[in-house]
Amino acid sequence: MKVELENLTKRWGDVFGADSIDLEITDGELVAFLGPSGCGKTTTLLMVAGIYKPTEGVIRFDERVVNHVAPKDRNVGMVFQSYALYPHMTVFRNISYPLKLKKVPQEEMQRRTQQVADMMGIGHLMDRKPAQLSGGQQQRVALGRALVKEPDLLLFDEPLSNLDARLRLSMRGEIKRLQLELGITSIYVTHDQVEAMTMADRIAVMREGKLLAYGSPEELYDRPRTLFIGGFVGNPPMNFVDVEVVQENGAYHARRGGFDVVVPPERGGQAAGHGTVIFGIRPEDVAIADDGVPGEIYVVEPLGRDDLIDVRMDEEARVHVLADPALGLRIGDNVKLRFNTDEAQFFDPETEQSLLWA
Amino acid sequence: MAETVVGAEAGVARAQTSRWAQIKATVGAWSFMSPAIFLVLVFFFIPAILLFVLSMTDLASSNFSDPWTYIGLENYRRLFSDRFFPKILRNTFKYVFLTLGFFNVGLALVLALLTSHINRRASFLFRLLWLLPRITPSVVYIVMWRRFVQTPPYGIINWFLSMFGVERQPYWLTEMPWLFVVLVNGFVGASFGMIIFTSAIEAIPKDLFTAAKVDGASSWQIIRDITLPLLRWPLLFVTTYQTLSLLVSFEYILLLTQGGPGLYTTEVWALTAYKRALKTYFGSHAWGYGAAWGFILVIIGVVMSVVYLRVFRFDELVQEPKIDVL
Amino acid sequence: MTTPSTEPGRENGTRRSLRRAVPYLLLTLSVLPIVIGYAWVIIATFSYRTKGLLPIDAEGNIGGFTLQNWTFVSDAEIWRVALNTFGIAIGMVIGVGFVSSLAGYALSRMNFAGRKGFLGLTLVLHAFRPEMLLIAIFHVLLFIGGIPLIGKFFGFNTVGGVALVMVSLELPLGVWLMKGFFDNIPWDMERSALIDGASRFRVWWEIILPQIKPGLAALAIFNFITGWNAFLIPFTFTLGSKVSNLPVYLNRFSEDTSMVSWNQVAAVGLFSLLPVMIFFIFTQEMLLEIYSGGAKGGA
Repeated sequence: MKVELENLTKRWGDVFGADSIDLEITDGELVAFLGPSGCGKTTTLLMVAGIYKPTEGVIRFDERVVNHVAPKDRNVGMVFQSYALYPHMTVFRNISYPLKLKKVPQEEMQRRTQQVADMMGIGHLMDRKPAQLSGGQQQRVALGRALVKEPDLLLFDEPLSNLDARLRLSMRGEIKRLQLELGITSIYVTHDQVEAMTMADRIAVMREGKLLAYGSPEELYDRPRTLFIGGFVGNPPMNFVDVEVVQENGAYHARRGGFDVVVPPERGGQAAGHGTVIFGIRPEDVAIADDGVPGEIYVVEPLGRDDLIDVRMDEEARVHVLADPALGLRIGDNVKLRFNTDEAQFFDPETEQSLLWA
Repeated sequence: MAETVVGAEAGVARAQTSRWAQIKATVGAWSFMSPAIFLVLVFFFIPAILLFVLSMTDLASSNFSDPWTYIGLENYRRLFSDRFFPKILRNTFKYVFLTLGFFNVGLALVLALLTSHINRRASFLFRLLWLLPRITPSVVYIVMWRRFVQTPPYGIINWFLSMFGVERQPYWLTEMPWLFVVLVNGFVGASFGMIIFTSAIEAIPKDLFTAAKVDGASSWQIIRDITLPLLRWPLLFVTTYQTLSLLVSFEYILLLTQGGPGLYTTEVWALTAYKRALKTYFGSHAWGYGAAWGFILVIIGVVMSVVYLRVFRFDELVQEPKIDVL
Repeated sequence: MTTPSTEPGRENGTRRSLRRAVPYLLLTLSVLPIVIGYAWVIIATFSYRTKGLLPIDAEGNIGGFTLQNWTFVSDAEIWRVALNTFGIAIGMVIGVGFVSSLAGYALSRMNFAGRKGFLGLTLVLHAFRPEMLLIAIFHVLLFIGGIPLIGKFFGFNTVGGVALVMVSLELPLGVWLMKGFFDNIPWDMERSALIDGASRFRVWWEIILPQIKPGLAALAIFNFITGWNAFLIPFTFTLGSKVSNLPVYLNRFSEDTSMVSWNQVAAVGLFSLLPVMIFFIFTQEMLLEIYSGGAKGGA
């Protein structure tokens, strides 16, 4: 099923929960709503579910306007962050509850519930109460309950954030596989950009109720349209340094004080002549080398596979660099940095828009 | 509907359905509310209005069959010029302030402070014992107190006195009626404040006490400098709330002294209203006149409740529903 | 007054344990009247007569244990009165529980025109004490009594009427408490049920009410005790023993009798105290909770 949001707005008094959201989700797609808490992603999701009424705007399922359709008539399934299982009901009754409300005959209800439970790998836990299950099992029950009514649209509200790191990783894959297999259009709300990047076909980045960007993970990562997107997508986050881009002897240089790197003309050309601009570079595109921009190590954070090194180039300019722990770098060491400027980004400091991908 | 036809434009149609949905939601919600609304109407609203209407009539059992006669503010004039009005007013103040000061707030605070400084299980036991008078049927409770004050050989106080060789052993209720009116009400009333203050004290972060102890403060200094200032709001709440409670309550006085001994010795405002209208010794019920006494209490109650709403900002406790649909 | 804890001497130790004992001493003193009062009721119930707290026999010697004060339990009237008392108490439990859990749910969870107004009203109603309105309610009950059919069950001088008045007067507290209980139920559970296809009424009954069972139970106990102990309203709105309850019966009994049968008064008193005491013993913690919970809601 196709979902379309047009100028969707939710307001409580003067407070905007969601501010004129426009987006389209094609059939079978998994779209992630990504943003910090309080950015309006859950509000938007609840409007799609029918729990909140939009103040303005239209929600369409295929071509049908569903603004005033009750949640129960929208045929959506939803998985909540808290799972929202009914504590007084057994697993079987939890999963079969939507069918019971639809007055599905007893026999069919049994069959379908069992089928879904088996698919989720919890078929043997039917008589347990939610409190007797582990977090992962509860999560599966919640998924089963959302799937049992064979919904046209699946909604996930931060479903993995209550799980421990290892389980989160495996559930992530499982949900993605399930969604692909069943081909159900899905909206997935999360504040974890790794989750969004790995699972979603497209990501809608939101902040303060507004939709800031909507595109595939690669698009957002490689071609961020705003300073916010550049800093928000990617982990560890992109480094920003104020520079001036000048053309010299046919090459473009990004410069500040002792910092001077050559940037490719197709990028540098767009940024030149704007005065001071913001130069963005991802930590993985900076390397410790034998020659390059000098700096002093300020902080070393071991991440395991890499060390995240905070290098101070001058009073105001610092960059994070991913380095091999084998280098044995220490605080206070003087190092030289080499920048892979093929991936450099430039932003206008006033408008915070990208100078490259307008 | 004509508008819907004209409303080929989606906007108009949407506004229509939206209004309709709103009406539907409201009707649904009010169906949840309807039993409560019905009872509140019948036993709060209508009585409150009726009380006002009654207070303007001369309705009494002596003329019950007659249609009610409107006599304007005559009952209020009569009330204020009643021979015993000053005495009743004085009694009411005496009753409210003595009980409030010594028990409902004073002792309640002392009890809360004491029980929060002792072993948990013991404090629980003491609080439960203090709760007993509140959950004892008032009649049984009064029977106990009457037994306390009896003349020998039955009276318990006098029995103790004779152990210490005290000769004078009177009927204590006629001897000191006010002492017992306050005691009887106070022993019921203290538990309310005690529980509120206790939970307020327990809500104070333990770190504050630890920090003060580290700084070398004594128990008394801790109470004075930390606990009491933080109990300001609970104190104000209990005081205002219990003032109203005491102002309108008369059950224990009715059972203990019936306003006596003698003429109006312990009669308070609310008891006067009740007796005039519903329990007179002469078998005549002056409903209209009693209603005038009662309605003044209603006005005081409404004024005080508005003060609560303002001062304690109860409306801010109210969260918005996080579901729009019905 | 301060004993610095850095110098733990033996003398200080004794002084400190003395100081520790002070709160216990004061608290024990404060509960003495309550303890003595109860002790007397229990002693008197089983004795021929009492002198102070001492049970004595006809000759005035200590002793005189007897069960004769309990002969009233073979009287049919007391059981009818007890049944009335029970009826009022159960009426309170069911009535307040049902009505206030419906209204509390709507106030806590639904968006509708007039919600804020009614919430404010619930708070204002706290200030309307039953005592103020008795005179007018008397006339309301007379009026209801005049309505055919309904009047026979809910009018003046009926158990139903008394129960209805008591239920209504308990509503501001009940609604406010229930609203508080509902406020604590996670929204997601309700949203989930709505998406699963439940109506609001079904959500209330099947999903939310089961979550607040402890709260409901506490409210029920509170109301049972209030209803069981009710004096002023039954006393004012009933005539004769046919519809009176235990407190009213006991009041009349204690006013009628001469000094000698005080022990019987005590026995009837203990009889009417028993259910409350049983509840009290088994549910103390809950009771403390609801008294403080109700208070937070402005009771």
